[in-house]
Amino acid sequence: MAFIYAMAFQEGIPKTTPFRVTYKWLSYTLGVHVNQAKQMLYDYVERKRKENSGAQLHVTYLVAGNLIQNGHICHKVAVVREDKLEAMKSKLATIASVHVYSIQKALLKDSGPLYNTDYDIVKTNLHNCSKFSAIHCAAAVPRTSAEVSQVQTSVQAGSQTPSDTNAVSVPVVNGHGPSTTKQTAQQPKGIMGMFAAKAASKPQDTNKETKAEAKEAPGVSAVSSKPPAKGNIMNNFFGKAAMNKLKVNSVPEQPKEEKEVVKPSVPVAEPESSPNTVAEKPGKKTESARIQQKDKKSKMKRVDKSDNEEERIPENLKKKRKRIKQLQSDSSDEEDVPPSPMPEEEKAPSPPPVPALKTELEPASTEVSAGGKKRKRKRVLKSKMFIDEEEGCMVTEKVYESESCTDSEDDFAKSKPPAAHKQPVLPMRKEPKEERKNLKKGAATANRANKQVSIMGFFQKK
Amino acid sequence: PGGGGGGGLRGPGPGGLPGDPLAFVMARHPPCFQSRRPPRHRVCWPPPSAEASTFTRVPVSAYTDCSQPFRLGERSFSRQYAHIYAARLIEMRPILEERARQKWGNGVALRKLCELRAGEKCCVVGTLFKAMQLQPSILQEISEEHNLVPQPPLPKYIHPSDELILEDELQRIKLEGAVEVQRLVTGTIFAVYGSEQDDGKFLVEDHCFADLPRPLPWNGPSSDRFVLLVSGLGLGSGSGESLLSTQLLVDVVTGQLGAEGEQSCAAQISRVILAGNLLSQNTQSRDTINKAKYLTKKTQAASVEAVKMLDEILLQLCTSVPVDVMPGEFDPTNYTLPQQPLHHCMLPLASAYSTLQLVTNPYQADVDGIRFLGTSGQNVSDIFKYSSMDDYLEILEWTLLAGHISPTAPDTLGCYPFYKSDPFILTDCPHVYFCGNAPRFQSKLLKGEDGQQVLLVTVPAFSTTQTACLVNLRDLSCQPISFSGFGTEDDDGDMEVGH
Repeated sequence: MAFIYAMAFQEGIPKTTPFRVTYKWLSYTLGVHVNQAKQMLYDYVERKRKENSGAQLHVTYLVAGNLIQNGHICHKVAVVREDKLEAMKSKLATIASVHVYSIQKALLKDSGPLYNTDYDIVKTNLHNCSKFSAIHCAAAVPRTSAEVSQVQTSVQAGSQTPSDTNAVSVPVVNGHGPSTTKQTAQQPKGIMGMFAAKAASKPQDTNKETKAEAKEAPGVSAVSSKPPAKGNIMNNFFGKAAMNKLKVNSVPEQPKEEKEVVKPSVPVAEPESSPNTVAEKPGKKTESARIQQKDKKSKMKRVDKSDNEEERIPENLKKKRKRIKQLQSDSSDEEDVPPSPMPEEEKAPSPPPVPALKTELEPASTEVSAGGKKRKRKRVLKSKMFIDEEEGCMVTEKVYESESCTDSEDDFAKSKPPAAHKQPVLPMRKEPKEERKNLKKGAATANRANKQVSIMGFFQKK
Repeated sequence: PGGGGGGGLRGPGPGGLPGDPLAFVMARHPPCFQSRRPPRHRVCWPPPSAEASTFTRVPVSAYTDCSQPFRLGERSFSRQYAHIYAARLIEMRPILEERARQKWGNGVALRKLCELRAGEKCCVVGTLFKAMQLQPSILQEISEEHNLVPQPPLPKYIHPSDELILEDELQRIKLEGAVEVQRLVTGTIFAVYGSEQDDGKFLVEDHCFADLPRPLPWNGPSSDRFVLLVSGLGLGSGSGESLLSTQLLVDVVTGQLGAEGEQSCAAQISRVILAGNLLSQNTQSRDTINKAKYLTKKTQAASVEAVKMLDEILLQLCTSVPVDVMPGEFDPTNYTLPQQPLHHCMLPLASAYSTLQLVTNPYQADVDGIRFLGTSGQNVSDIFKYSSMDDYLEILEWTLLAGHISPTAPDTLGCYPFYKSDPFILTDCPHVYFCGNAPRFQSKLLKGEDGQQVLLVTVPAFSTTQTACLVNLRDLSCQPISFSGFGTEDDDGDMEVGH
């Protein structure tokens, strides 16, 4: 058996290593139990020393035992060089274990390199770091993903429930009423729920959103009774989160929840507006958003408009693409909605999120109204994903969606340099988009710092 | 190569006892961590059995987390701190009055300060306030009238001119007489026996504290079972001195290091408690505040790397043993006591395992029938600063006798403004009471009058001492375990040669 070990050991060591082998390195590399690895090292040393060619081998040992220190027994575990081995052993009252720790060619001045070797090999084997150890723990099983999410919610709920239970038995730490506690404790859950829901899918069904909003209104009004100590933005944020929580309770359907999550503008206004406006909300908001957007646009230069359009395009395309997967009817409804005389508004065949998204991406967003706040908040939520998507979408949609979005393209092509976009050829299609992109870059693109723009924009603009 | 000692302990089972005749002999030895194997003076390794032995870790028979009082839900800082003192006094008054009656007789007059009559011997229960000249006062520092330079931090703020004042719900009175002014700290609830003098001061003849709380029933295990207490890992310090020792610690606990005897003993470690300061103080650098923004824009906080390292270490431990992680003074959690658990998002690798428990500081739990209570050391080090007591173990014992984990909170130690109850009051007597980040390891078994038995442990900071503590739950004994590598110079200064 020793012979087998030696053979495996020799094969196992790559010739290119600086020849420092610790028992742990050997154990992971050969896939053997740590005790076997230690034995193999020992056998190797013995063999080499017998052959008298092991003169250049330096060995370190691990010594463990009991030591009387200050009157009490102290257990000591130490890595020592071979020359200090006997000295250490003589210090210990009882020796529990001595075994080879590592073998190296060069004499080590300190144990730092041993740590490095061990660290490296453990790092590459983190997923099964206890596989070859001598102790097996039955309780150490990775959590399943269901348990993980449960733990996450329970952590948030756990911070909430102790205060609730304390209110019953032990005096509660905080003096707030349970409703407030519930709401604010729901906030993290709502936020996490939003991100989780966003990651899951991107619903674009406004009809469903409308229904969902109507459902949420009663819950929202309860929420809105919270004293508005914080600014409007915060209220909107937490209100939305609280609404999400209520949604979870009342409507456990995930798509709906996601829709609420993704829907940027409408739910935010809920805490601020009265429940009466809920029913008219979608239309109203869309209109108000459009109107606001239009006002904003009139103030801004064409550059910004084109920026918006450009941003709207991928949003549109993206939304359209998604809608194809879901309900066809909605997409057609969306497209028919915008009135023709408003070229920019044509963009908003897409649901309100799009104009809101545009406005949030625009540099000068100093809206004071709740609508403005909505947009601002939306930017926080949507921008990430939107931007990420856009990097990919931009490219693909240039290529792929040139046909389907021709009509909308034509509409806001009016505001563009007329010659450019007329030819629905892919490369030409790219140019206006690029131009828009570059124009946007020329204009204050502080908000889009992470969007790559082509340097050609400088030349084309002139 | 021949083997030393008996054949390797084979097969699963706690401690690998079955099948090893030698183990029964060893079991009669005093319960130390490593008394199982006979002394082995040979370097060689016993030939492993056909399949290398794997020991099963002792299962967790009973674990309950009792730290609910220390978990904060919704937090509001709009309250004053007077409420916590009022709650403390209200809750501890009955206990102290009972103690006073036990000590000075049932007929002792219990008076409030407003009912005092000059010359009458009576007992008063109240909160202690120590007026200290050197105590840092933020109001003085920011006051422009005084033009004071902020006082540099001192190791101790005691001064001969300190005075003790007893306060109850309505009044306060100066104390003199048989009270050790230097030793006591603000925030302690205690009872004094004496009389009011003509000059308005209270002359103390005797005093008493709440003493040990009521004992808990003993449900400890009948066989050896260990809990490892470690604190002050100090990752991210920039110096690699204790890194190998940390790795050795992990390897011993996970059963990679050591001979089979040691591994079988390590399999009896049922839990590891990390008592704070997992990160080093160096990770707290606040350069980002002092430096210009363009210099620090892309720099990462020092704690990020350290937390990654912590995650890897915890992962190695969690695959093998249940771990409770308490935050400490330098860890990324809130500053005020009670510190809330570290967030699991910082430890993605280790959080995947259910053996990882992120807990509060202070931490209280029932482990295998034994009640553990401990902190990461902030309470003891704060008392150290404001009292003449020098020994961490002495301070730890004193807090137990005073019936309160951290009396100096909120005066000099940051604390959440509780108002309905004070969760730091000791209501049950723990079996193991520890504090982390002590300068050295100390332990003491304290016995109370009502049958309480408490093991007091000061867990040393691992980054400086490379020492951890093993507590045997069977008999509440404690043993330090230290790790070392080798350096360019060998330090053999204070080690005694064993017999």
